[in-house]
Amino acid sequence: MANFNIDATQQRTFQAIVIGSGMSGSWAAKELCEHGVKTLVIERGRDVKHLRDYPTTNMLPYEFEHRGQLTKQIEEENPVVSKCYAFREDAMHFFVKDKEHAYIQEKPFDWIRGYQVGGKSLLWARQVQRWSDFDFEGPARDGFAVDWPIRYKDIAPWYSHVEKFAGVSGNKDGLANLPDGEFLPGFELNIVEKYFQEQLKKHYGDSRHMILARCAHITGNLEYYKQQGRVQCQSRNLCQRGCPFGGYFSANASTLPWAEKTGNLTLRTDAVVHSIIYDEAKGKATGVRIVDTHTKQTEEYFADVIFVNAAALNTNLILLNSTSNRFPNGLGNDSGLLGKYVAFHNYRAGISAEYEGYSEYTITGGRPTSGYFPRFRNLHKQETDFLRGYAAGFSAGRYNYADQSGIGLSLKEELLNPSKYSNWSIGSHMMGETIPKETNYVTLSKDEKDAWGIPLLKVKVEYDDNDEKMVKDYQEQMTEMFEKAGFTNIRVRDDKRAPGLDIHEMGGVRMGKDPKTSLLNKDHQLHACTNVYVTDGACMTSTSTQNPSLTYMAFAARAAHHAMKNQKWGKV
Amino acid sequence: MQRREALKSLAILTGGAVLIPSCNFEKEDILAAYSNLQITATQQTLLAEIANTIIPAGQLKGAANLSVQDFILVMVNDCLDKNQQQQFVKGLQEFNAFSKKISGSNFSKLESAEREKVVTQGLSIGSDADENQKIIQEFLSITKRFTIQGFMMSEYIMTEVKPYSLIPGKYNGEVLISSISNMKING
Repeated sequence: MANFNIDATQQRTFQAIVIGSGMSGSWAAKELCEHGVKTLVIERGRDVKHLRDYPTTNMLPYEFEHRGQLTKQIEEENPVVSKCYAFREDAMHFFVKDKEHAYIQEKPFDWIRGYQVGGKSLLWARQVQRWSDFDFEGPARDGFAVDWPIRYKDIAPWYSHVEKFAGVSGNKDGLANLPDGEFLPGFELNIVEKYFQEQLKKHYGDSRHMILARCAHITGNLEYYKQQGRVQCQSRNLCQRGCPFGGYFSANASTLPWAEKTGNLTLRTDAVVHSIIYDEAKGKATGVRIVDTHTKQTEEYFADVIFVNAAALNTNLILLNSTSNRFPNGLGNDSGLLGKYVAFHNYRAGISAEYEGYSEYTITGGRPTSGYFPRFRNLHKQETDFLRGYAAGFSAGRYNYADQSGIGLSLKEELLNPSKYSNWSIGSHMMGETIPKETNYVTLSKDEKDAWGIPLLKVKVEYDDNDEKMVKDYQEQMTEMFEKAGFTNIRVRDDKRAPGLDIHEMGGVRMGKDPKTSLLNKDHQLHACTNVYVTDGACMTSTSTQNPSLTYMAFAARAAHHAMKNQKWGKV
Repeated sequence: MQRREALKSLAILTGGAVLIPSCNFEKEDILAAYSNLQITATQQTLLAEIANTIIPAGQLKGAANLSVQDFILVMVNDCLDKNQQQQFVKGLQEFNAFSKKISGSNFSKLESAEREKVVTQGLSIGSDADENQKIIQEFLSITKRFTIQGFMMSEYIMTEVKPYSLIPGKYNGEVLISSISNMKING
C-alpha cells in the first residue's frame, strides 16, 4: 500500500483513477492493471478482503443470536434497508444503515447501498442474462428516451470476455432475445419446473419460454478458476455472507485480487469522492478530490483518465457536484440532462400457487439459481396498451415439514422425524422495464450536506401509468399460464413497493449519439470531457428487463480497452 | 455469543440482578438482561418448565436441558413488538393462576401429565374467550413457537442429533420420496 502522507503531486499521480470498487469499477481496474496501467481505485467504504473479512461466512444457524432474524430495534432504526430481503442478521454488516448516509426522498425511494470494497458485488443476486438487440433497439423502435449508440454486436465479445472470467453457469437455450454466452454447466430444473416448460410449449408453442436462469457461479473449467483462487460453487446459498470458495463472482474474490497481483493497483479506501477536478486550460479532467471519511481531510489525486463507477446514483451525485466555470451545472452537463431520465425495474408484482401433481417426488440438495422467463410481451411488435414488457423469475419447490399441533414427546418425535410434505409450491416475481422520463431525476440539495461536506442527494422517481398496466398484465398472463398448467390456489400480489428496492436503479448519465440529448458517447466517454468514462448503471439509456450487472461489467471492460487504445497504453 | 458475554459482565456488575421498582411484583429482582421485559428468576424457571413440557427430555435432551427458556426470552425481548412483549409478560405472570384454575395447583407442583394438560388447554383457548384467557393462549403460542425454534436450532440438535451441513449437497430435482430412507430418531 502506498504511503498517503507523502504530499508530492507525483506520489498522487496515476495513469488512471477508478471511482468505486464494486461490480463495474473492479472490472475497469482489472482490465487496466492487467495491461500495465498504474491505477488508483478509490472506495468510500472500508476494506473487505476476500476470506479475511467475511465474519459470518462459516457460522452455523445456532451461532446467530436471533437465528438470522433482525431485532425490532434494528428494523426501527433502518426502515429503508430493512426492506431488503438480504438485510438479515448474517449479512447486515455489508449494507449501509439508514442513519449513516442520509438522502432526501422527494418521492418514496428505497436506496439500498453497500459501502465497502467490493460494494454490492458481495450482495447481488448473481443473475446474469445478456441483452439482445430486442433491448438495445427498444427506445428507437418504441419512441422513448434516445436511441442507444451501440448494438448487441458491439458488446457481445465483451459479454464473452466477462462471462469467461467471472464464471457463468447456464444452458444454451438458443433464444434470439436472450443470447447464449460462454457457459459452464447449468444447474438443474426440477421435475415440476420441467413440467411447466412442457406446458408452455403445449399452450404457447415457441412464443413463451421458461429457462434455467444463468448465474455467476463456477460449475466447471476448474483449473482456469484456480488461477483466481476460486473453486466450484458448493450451492450453500449463503452468498450474501461472502463466499469462502469464491464460488460466485464478487469483486473481492475475483477482479480486485487479480488487479492487485499485477502490482499496478493502488487501493485508497475510506475516501469519499467530493468531485472531479476539471482543468479549464487543458479542457479535460485532471483528477479527483476526496474527503477522508475518518479525518475529514481533503486530498487530491491525479490521472490522465477517470472512470466513474460509484454506483448509478452516486455517479450522478459526483458529476453534479463537479462544477467549474466551464461546467457550472455539473461535469459534462451541457445538455442539462445530467441526473434526469433515471429509471429502474418494476418488481411490484408476484404470484404464488400450488401443484398437486408429482406428489411422489421431492427435491434434495441446494441450487443458487432458479427458473427465468425472458420477456415475451411486445417482443416482435407492439401488442398491448403499454410499452415494453417484463421478465420474471420462476421456481417450484417442495418441503418436508412437521405437524406441530401437539406437545410433549409426540411433538418432539414429529419434529425430529417430520412426516408431512407440502404440495409443490410455485412462485414467480416480475422484473418490468420502466420507461426513463425527464420527470424521474436526482438533484443535489442546495442546503443540506453530509458529514463530509457533500450535498445530499434528492431522489424523485415514480411509477407511471405504463408501470401500472404492466403490473396488471403480468398478473393476468401469469394467472393464465398457471391455470393452463393445472396449478391451484393461485394468488397474485402487488406489494406496491417503492422504486429502489429492486436495487436496479439506472440512468441519469445516459449514452446517446447526440450531445444535445445525452451525456455519454458510444464509448462511455462524457461527450464534453472525453477523459471521463461512466460504465456503471448511470450510463443506461433504457433499462430493459434483465438484471443489469453483467452489462455493466461488459461495458466497463470495453471502455477500459477503449481508454487504453486512446492513450496508447499497454499491449491492447 | 455477545449476549452471553453481556450477561456475564452484567452479572459481575450487578451481582446477578438489578433492582427495578415495580408494583406488580413481590419485591423480587428483575432480570436485567431482558431490558424490555419485567421478568424475575422465578418466572424464568416457570418458563423453563413450560418449555420443557412442550419438548420434554426423553432419550434425547429436552428444552430445559438446552436452556431454551433463555433463547425464548432473548427473542421476545429483542424481536417482538411492544404489544406482543406485553402479552407475553402478562401471560407469564398470570400463568400460575391459570394452572390453579385448571388443575388446582401451581404449575411447578404438578406431575408431567398434569402439566401437559394445562399447556394443551391453554393453547386451545379460542378467540371467543375473554381477554385474560386469550392472553394465556397468546403467551403459550409465543412460547411454543420459540421453544420449537430454540430446540431444533440448538447446537445439540444441529451437531449431535441431526448434524447440519453448510453444504447441502448436489441439487436433485426429481427424487422419489419412497427412495429416501431416514433412520427414525427416537425422542
